[in-house]
Amino acid sequence: MSSRTQSSVQAGRPGFVWAAPAIVFFAVFALLPMFVVVYLSFTSYSAISDPVWIGVKNWRHLATDPLVGNSLRLSAGLTVLSWLVQTAIALPLGVYLAGKGRTRSVLAAVLFLPLLMSGAAIALLWSTLFDPNFGLASVVGPLIGVADGNFIGKPTLAFYCVLLVIAWQFIPFHTLLYQGATRAIPTSLYEAAMIDGAERFKQFTLITVPQLRDTIITSGVLMIVGSLTYFEIILILTGGGPGTATRILPLHMYITGFRGFDMGYASVLAVLLLAVGTSLSLLITKVTGYRKMSSQKEGL
Amino acid sequence: MSGAATGTPEIPAAGQLPARRRKAIGPWWKRMNFVGGFGAAVWLVIVGAPLYFLFVPSLRVSADYLAKGPLSPPNNLTFGNYATIMRSEFPRYFVNTAIVTLACVAIVLALALPAAYAIVRSRKKSVATAFSVILLGLAVPAQAVILPLYLLITKAGLYDTLLAIILPTAAFALPLSIIVLTSSLRDLPAEMYEAMNLDGAGAVRALFSLVIPLSRSAMATVGIFTAMQAWNGFLFPLVLTQSSSVRVLTLGLWDFQGQFGQNVPLLLAAMVLALLPLLVVYLVGRRYLLAGLTAGSGK
Amino acid sequence: MFRSMRAHKIAVAGLVVLAVTGVSACGSSGPQKSGGGSAKELQLWTLQNPGVNGVQQKAVDRFNKSSGAKLKLSTYVNDPYKVKLQTAVGSANAPDIFYNWGGGNLKGYVDAGQVADLTKALDAAPDVKAKFIPSVLDVGTVDGKVYGIPMQGVQPVSFFYNKVVFKKAGISEFPTTWSDFLTVVDKLKAAGVQPIALAGSQGWCELMYLEYFLDRIGGPEKFQAIVKNEKGAWTDPAVVESMGMVQDLVDRGAFGTNYAAVNYDNKGSQALLTSGKAAMELMGSWEVTSLNDAFPKFLTAGSLGWANFPAIKGGAGDPLDIVGNPSNFYSVSSRSSDVAAATKFLLQEMVSDEYVAGMISVGQVPAILGLEKKVKIGAFADFNAFVYQMGLTAPSFAQSWDQALPAALSQTMLTNIQQVFNKQMTPQEFADSMAAAAGS
Repeated sequence: MSSRTQSSVQAGRPGFVWAAPAIVFFAVFALLPMFVVVYLSFTSYSAISDPVWIGVKNWRHLATDPLVGNSLRLSAGLTVLSWLVQTAIALPLGVYLAGKGRTRSVLAAVLFLPLLMSGAAIALLWSTLFDPNFGLASVVGPLIGVADGNFIGKPTLAFYCVLLVIAWQFIPFHTLLYQGATRAIPTSLYEAAMIDGAERFKQFTLITVPQLRDTIITSGVLMIVGSLTYFEIILILTGGGPGTATRILPLHMYITGFRGFDMGYASVLAVLLLAVGTSLSLLITKVTGYRKMSSQKEGL
Repeated sequence: MSGAATGTPEIPAAGQLPARRRKAIGPWWKRMNFVGGFGAAVWLVIVGAPLYFLFVPSLRVSADYLAKGPLSPPNNLTFGNYATIMRSEFPRYFVNTAIVTLACVAIVLALALPAAYAIVRSRKKSVATAFSVILLGLAVPAQAVILPLYLLITKAGLYDTLLAIILPTAAFALPLSIIVLTSSLRDLPAEMYEAMNLDGAGAVRALFSLVIPLSRSAMATVGIFTAMQAWNGFLFPLVLTQSSSVRVLTLGLWDFQGQFGQNVPLLLAAMVLALLPLLVVYLVGRRYLLAGLTAGSGK
Repeated sequence: MFRSMRAHKIAVAGLVVLAVTGVSACGSSGPQKSGGGSAKELQLWTLQNPGVNGVQQKAVDRFNKSSGAKLKLSTYVNDPYKVKLQTAVGSANAPDIFYNWGGGNLKGYVDAGQVADLTKALDAAPDVKAKFIPSVLDVGTVDGKVYGIPMQGVQPVSFFYNKVVFKKAGISEFPTTWSDFLTVVDKLKAAGVQPIALAGSQGWCELMYLEYFLDRIGGPEKFQAIVKNEKGAWTDPAVVESMGMVQDLVDRGAFGTNYAAVNYDNKGSQALLTSGKAAMELMGSWEVTSLNDAFPKFLTAGSLGWANFPAIKGGAGDPLDIVGNPSNFYSVSSRSSDVAAATKFLLQEMVSDEYVAGMISVGQVPAILGLEKKVKIGAFADFNAFVYQMGLTAPSFAQSWDQALPAALSQTMLTNIQQVFNKQMTPQEFADSMAAAAGS
């Protein structure tokens, strides 16, 4: 390009000021409070009186708290399994629903409903279903080897129930992401494959999935970071129980801070959550080159 | 470039080919996607069963429901529960929630779109850092910052107002919105911007004549997702408001649970009513949603 | 929107200024929540409870009329209320009068200096003071000073049972000793019935067993020691033995197998009781009004029976001791703009004839002396009389542990109790874990 064209293109680019309002707004309501939380982690605070500085005492407690290791393990497990289960269902489902056809349209609408419900509503609904004596669990249980319908009362099973309900709520969202992305894949790619005689499954694995790479990353980041901070359903469905079997880290933080009113230590857990979440999200985006603003459509 | 001007890409969906080609492939049982259809059907049952237990019992009378258990076949269906709810404080909560939702959507769109535009088009390092900050922001747990937020809101004199809910909710909806918009704007080819530049247009004109029309679908997506977050938000209203005059639906639902806890069908009816507006929004905006999650011009 | 770069920059600057001002407005306490008009509006926060709220509203109206004050009642659901109260008390948005559970719960607020001392005012009205049941007023007293006025009924915990199921299993009356109780459990199992309905997904339902066992075995002093956080209080053999008895019940199958998944709030355990699938439930006195709302036919058929917790032979506790909620209390915030008016409301209305009669009419048994005849009315006459007797004659009325203990310790305790009931923790491990958590 000639230097004249280059500079005129440059002049037409938006500068930082465009992003500034969003950044400032977000900083005031999300980042600034987070700094205050870091401060609170060095204090003893129960919300009814002012915070009292106690240095690293809360942080030392982190090392001796028997529940933290448990929470971390549960959170890690839930994150990984959620990602696997939700992607394994949402991706093929999204691709399937991307096809034209009225039945698929109606189907997509119905399958989207769970996302429209609030977490509290979903948890209330499922807790009636899980009642071991009068709910759906009492009927389905005996059919699949749980004779007394006791799903959310057994530690391991409760974990899987939680995994299921959260997946139930969020799969529609990720299905939508995949659905939209699939719709945008140019048919020219498929036409070429057809000519070569590739059948449906090969098309899926060799064309569709690679083209969805960016969406897999977006969806993955959202799932992973989301499962590190989300707990509304677990709070109402199992309360972290039985015992501590479903007490993932954000829930541990909530119970410590808002039931035990130990805000200082809860702030430590919050900082821990933030650290893990940001490292993960930065790591993923760096490793996959997500941040390079290149389009997958180049070359077409 | 066929779909560019209208903003709705006219790409035929993947997998559908012109009729002529279809005949050439094979008999119908090879064409129908059995595996896909079966999988979708299974998922439909898993999604549908709980939904059945949401909608149908909401039409039952409480005494029936409790006495015979939720699994008993429903006879005696009535809309009485819905009538009871409409006569309670529910309409006011509904209006409050609607105001909060509309305000959040407006704020988010106004802030996220310019930001996404800048992130995609700017070469400046400051903007790239801004994007990293946004990605970082995804991981901020809302319940962690609720106390500092409470202090902030109170000192700003906004406690117990709808603004107290609107501002933090919009702020927390920004990261996702910016990511979705960025991802969609990125697929607009650079040549289009360059073409506008050659015409002498600056960044602002490019925004209005190019970016906004082409990202209508992505904006709809962002709007719908923000609306969902605002509509179903719980923690911010809980701590930052108090009077029933600014109460929103999610809190109202807890109220109902306390008031009518034993009347499960009534509670379910409240949940159904609470979800209807979002359903309408989704049905109306669905075309935009689908058409543009990674909107771009068709080729 | 942003028609020009310049306007854009100004807008950004404006936002930043707004943010900074908002944040740095330290020292200002924010606007007071005042309704219009000359009299100051006072806020009364209480729990939502349909029947009771009506009575409270009438009391508020009476007071406003007679004194020209502007007292306003706001109601909240349980869990959110606790969070709200904790964040609001001590801030500019604190209510003037607030509902609390007395005991350790109230002590937390008192220690933070947020509650007004009502001792003088109460002493100045001896006829009012004399009306309260002393053991209940004690729970609203911290360090010898009165900070809370009882405003609701006494709510002891007792056994409720399905008379029809008992009859079918050949049990003629509710057992009064523990060994008889165990025999009854076996009889019920033989008849194919789950002996006890337990909402095991909620720790506070399981807590009741521990509360009674410790009292019966070790006497009320054992829990007093725990409250005072004396050394060795949690590892006392009586605590370990009590948990041992819990696990004994579990092993016998007294609770069935799926209790850990049963929830009280959605009537899961009550459904078991009323449908005849289970025979008994240990629960607070609110069980009756709750059953009446959800399963009215069960009550009108006269199928509900109630009884004291059995005595344990060789135990140090009096068989008449009870546990539960002695009452709930109203306290006045020390930050209130009109402490005198708020106090006047409490002293005037909480013992007024209208208020007391109203409470009785909605099924509450007030913590007021001399009501033997008055409570024996209405749909639950017999039950009210039973509860009132318990409240009056009990040598000790222990407060629910999760209200008496500090919040953080309470949470740990509830989690541990669940684990003991699910056989994930031994009684000794429970005692050790609690001792470690309490730092004693």
